[in-house]
Amino acid sequence: MKIGTMGKGVALFAASTLALAACTSDSGDSDETSESPTAAATSEAATGSNDDTILVSVGEDEWAGYNNMTPATYSTYNSVINDRVRETFTYFDEESAIQINEEFGNVELVSEDPMIVEYTIAEDAVWSDGTPITYDDALLTWAAQKFTDGENEDGTPIQLFDHVGGIDYGERVVEGPQGEAGGKTFTVEYTNPYPDYLLTTVIDLPAHVAAEQSGVSLEDMAAAIEAEDIEALRPVAEFWNTGWLSPTPGELPDPAIALSSGPYTYGSWEAGQSLTLVPNENYWGTAPATGNLTFRFAAADTHVQALQNGDLNVIEPQATVDTLDQLAAIGDAVTVGTYDTLIWEHLDINFKEGASLADSQELREAFAMCVPRQLIVDNLIAPMNPEAGIMNAREVFPFESDYEEIVSASYDGRYDEVDIEGAAAKIAEAGVSEPVQVRIGYNTPNPRRTDIVALIKDSCDQAGFEIVDNGNADFFGVDLTAGDFDVALYAWSGSGQITSGQNIYASDGAQNVTGYVNEDVDAAWDALTSTLDPEAQKEQTIIIEKTLWDSLFGIPLFAHPGVAAWDSTIQNVIPTPSQSGIVWNAEEWVR
Amino acid sequence: MTRYILRRLAISFGVLFVGSFLMYILTINSGDPLEDLRQSTASNRDVLIQGRIDTMGLDLPWYERYWGWLTGVAGCFYGACDLGTDQSGTDVLSMLQQSASATLRLVTIATFAAIIIGIIVGILTAIRQYSGFDYVVTFLTFLFFSLPVFWAAVLLKEYGAIRFNDWIADPQISVLQAVIVGVLLGFILQGIMGGDMKRRLFTAGATAVFTIAALLYFTYVGWWRSPALGPVIVILVSAAFAVGLVALIAGLGKKRVLYSTLTTVGIGSILYFALQPLLAEPNWWLLLGLFVSAVVVGLVVGYFWGGYSRGQAMALSAVTATFMAGMTFVDHLVYAWAGFLELKPRPISTIGASTPNFQGDFWETTLDWGTQLILPSILLTLISVATYSRYTRSSMLETMNQDYVRTARSKGLSERTVITKHAFRNALIPITTIVALDFAALIGGAVITETVFGWKGMGAMFREGLTHVDPNPVMAFFLVTGTAAVIMNLVADLAYASLDPRIRR
Repeated sequence: MKIGTMGKGVALFAASTLALAACTSDSGDSDETSESPTAAATSEAATGSNDDTILVSVGEDEWAGYNNMTPATYSTYNSVINDRVRETFTYFDEESAIQINEEFGNVELVSEDPMIVEYTIAEDAVWSDGTPITYDDALLTWAAQKFTDGENEDGTPIQLFDHVGGIDYGERVVEGPQGEAGGKTFTVEYTNPYPDYLLTTVIDLPAHVAAEQSGVSLEDMAAAIEAEDIEALRPVAEFWNTGWLSPTPGELPDPAIALSSGPYTYGSWEAGQSLTLVPNENYWGTAPATGNLTFRFAAADTHVQALQNGDLNVIEPQATVDTLDQLAAIGDAVTVGTYDTLIWEHLDINFKEGASLADSQELREAFAMCVPRQLIVDNLIAPMNPEAGIMNAREVFPFESDYEEIVSASYDGRYDEVDIEGAAAKIAEAGVSEPVQVRIGYNTPNPRRTDIVALIKDSCDQAGFEIVDNGNADFFGVDLTAGDFDVALYAWSGSGQITSGQNIYASDGAQNVTGYVNEDVDAAWDALTSTLDPEAQKEQTIIIEKTLWDSLFGIPLFAHPGVAAWDSTIQNVIPTPSQSGIVWNAEEWVR
Repeated sequence: MTRYILRRLAISFGVLFVGSFLMYILTINSGDPLEDLRQSTASNRDVLIQGRIDTMGLDLPWYERYWGWLTGVAGCFYGACDLGTDQSGTDVLSMLQQSASATLRLVTIATFAAIIIGIIVGILTAIRQYSGFDYVVTFLTFLFFSLPVFWAAVLLKEYGAIRFNDWIADPQISVLQAVIVGVLLGFILQGIMGGDMKRRLFTAGATAVFTIAALLYFTYVGWWRSPALGPVIVILVSAAFAVGLVALIAGLGKKRVLYSTLTTVGIGSILYFALQPLLAEPNWWLLLGLFVSAVVVGLVVGYFWGGYSRGQAMALSAVTATFMAGMTFVDHLVYAWAGFLELKPRPISTIGASTPNFQGDFWETTLDWGTQLILPSILLTLISVATYSRYTRSSMLETMNQDYVRTARSKGLSERTVITKHAFRNALIPITTIVALDFAALIGGAVITETVFGWKGMGAMFREGLTHVDPNPVMAFFLVTGTAAVIMNLVADLAYASLDPRIRR
């Protein structure tokens, strides 16, 4: 009874609160109108950018620092941000082809023998503190990849600057860039012809900051580089190695040392959450269309819903069938783009002693005949990228313009269709006892590769092979280097270089793990890397591809599919296969 | 007692040491830290590999790596903490500070909510054992307990964030929707309240009518986009809370306690108006100070009104003061909602701990934090409420069947007194252990919840460290969670001893 009266009391009380709540809600209304003007932020009229914000995420990894040229900070997560801040002479376009950035300057091959490249920096190009970008910056960039200081226990030289490129550039260009202090033009002379010269970064970090911060004058630093004076350069290297890093997440580097040479500069950084780029007011070129470009650090599997909710505006999520379905379900509010990435899957046949396919060309051909490449693409890749096809080359990608030409000249399509009978005949020809055991090694866990091996097993076991799924969590660490596999299934991620394949396919290549030896391939690589003529390079590429097909170095399968999606109100978003990622032209994005 | 504590600490230290050793060895052997680089065709691949070997010390034997880590940690005892760096050179100590603060923000509310809701639900289900309400709650708690977090998070984002944000743009509730919600609420509430058919009908009917009317009325006046509570509601609700609290804990018969809490509400009402200008743009320190002074006011009022029930009056007045301070806080937040919607038209986010570059006043920023927290908090609460409610229920049932409870009933005490004074207090003793251990687990973060909601907390740090086969972040995680577990275990034992005189030696 007591609670009963209380219940009535509660009801009465509730009714009265309801009535009162409505009375006061008006005040909220009037308040709303009075507060709205404060929401408008101050616009940055001077730069020509609007004050809109575009939110983008490329993954959950935190930004690690201004200097992304050290091995620890060299990652795509870091460079997607830094590339918007520091421009250079070249960039990758939407087909991953390299282009000259005319706003920054010009690159010209002035002589082929000796190979001399002339660089001209735009007259009005300046760092964000107003200091002109000059020859001095190019000199430091070179020095950082030139000098060594002592040796390791095993005899390898220790780099003075902890540069991720090693001393490759310093070895190719022995004399360094030639020019005048403070000059806008300089030349670079390569000792040997170098087809990938456009990929060489000749200017990365501001030299005057390095000099100032390490307590030497710019002239003294240049003189020390000239004189190869390691002692004098040590403080510069010390600053270069550590001063431009951001070991504490959330603390942006001092704007006086982290200078911008691009459309954007660092605005704010919330540890673990986001980093916002704002227009660089001293940028001489076209100002970015959108005033705030915010990179959020979010796991890829949260991207789709975040895009739908407007927490992200441009995403590059993991390409899975589910992702595509979810994106399609959102409707017209988002635009989806699928493309091939520079990562491609391949089967490599082991030529080392003891491997089951090493000694017999017939067995290799039989294996190539029974691998169901079209089925693999149809089952595992086409759902994500309906336009995907089998990849029939190693040095060019299907989206590149000369792919058709190179493939048609090097490969006749003989392994496109599964031919079980032909494979069985080849095995009989090889005169070995059936079934032929083939161990396919790959790293686990990787469900897609497990599926690929299962498909190969279904097909090849019919022809007289016995495919063994040798997936192993330690594959890269142990099996691959030890040569403990018959066929290796993994992916290479392309770098856009013309010459990088020499490492893999040449007999003494550092990444030639299968023990493949072929003099024709070696000769073609030597010819390719010593010419600067694109036509001659293409000729050699065709020879390489054809020989690799004929001797069955391995079987390329497909390029990994990529998916990007963006808010349909944003214009100029163009997916690209290159490592620059979806943000490669972010300064043109506008709502 | 001191010897006991010291001995426990020494043993714990040994356990931590052995644990750290095992953890380190397991982590560095859990995969290949160079895997991503081995597939690269870049010409600088060897430099990259060498660089990572140098940063992570991969060329050193395992004992040297462990020793290096251990000496760095030993530095913490004389103020030179060095937890190393992760593979991209980020300082792990500063990472740890940020992760820990994110995790604490994320899970504290959820844990408190889970404890409070779990215990209340547990007691209610124990009192109404084998009723329809009990069965439904049992079913639901087990359902929530077994929810796959990933899936639940996706659903929650879909309905709690995306659909809600679509709705709040033009909030409309149709009559049908209001009726459904009202009837449903009425049905639930009558199950909790119990009683004979007449009373159940009354409860259900009243609740339904009130809810339907409220929903329609709020929609009609546009309350959802520009809500406000206002002084009258704050004061009325606080007064109702005070009366209810006294009725529940002390009984309305204790006039002095009742007057004490009501006086507190009175003083609070004056302060509500007096502090308006101060609260227009406050900061957290000011709020903390005001909160403490509210509690002090409650205690003082209780002290002077108290008489024979001084202790109870002080405690209940302090609780009332806390509640009223909370109501005032909420009142300001609710008031700021309209302005917040202007700044952030889609208020509930699916990822992140805060909106990037959000610029609002104190209340709007707090609302931003709150709206970012709400989804992960709901998820974490749903999952952990099961444990608390089940433990409380069984513990409560056990005490309710004790002889002394029967004795208390037979000597004529009211049901309220029997439950709150005799049964509930004793039922809480075993719960302390769970609460203490749960607080230790709290620091460890919620790996999946953090990932799906884009929080960089302890769980995320642990997971990323493990994916990269990078021992330093993993060990930092271990240090904190291990220490917390050991300490909270000790605290649980000590609390147990102090709560239950029977196990004190």
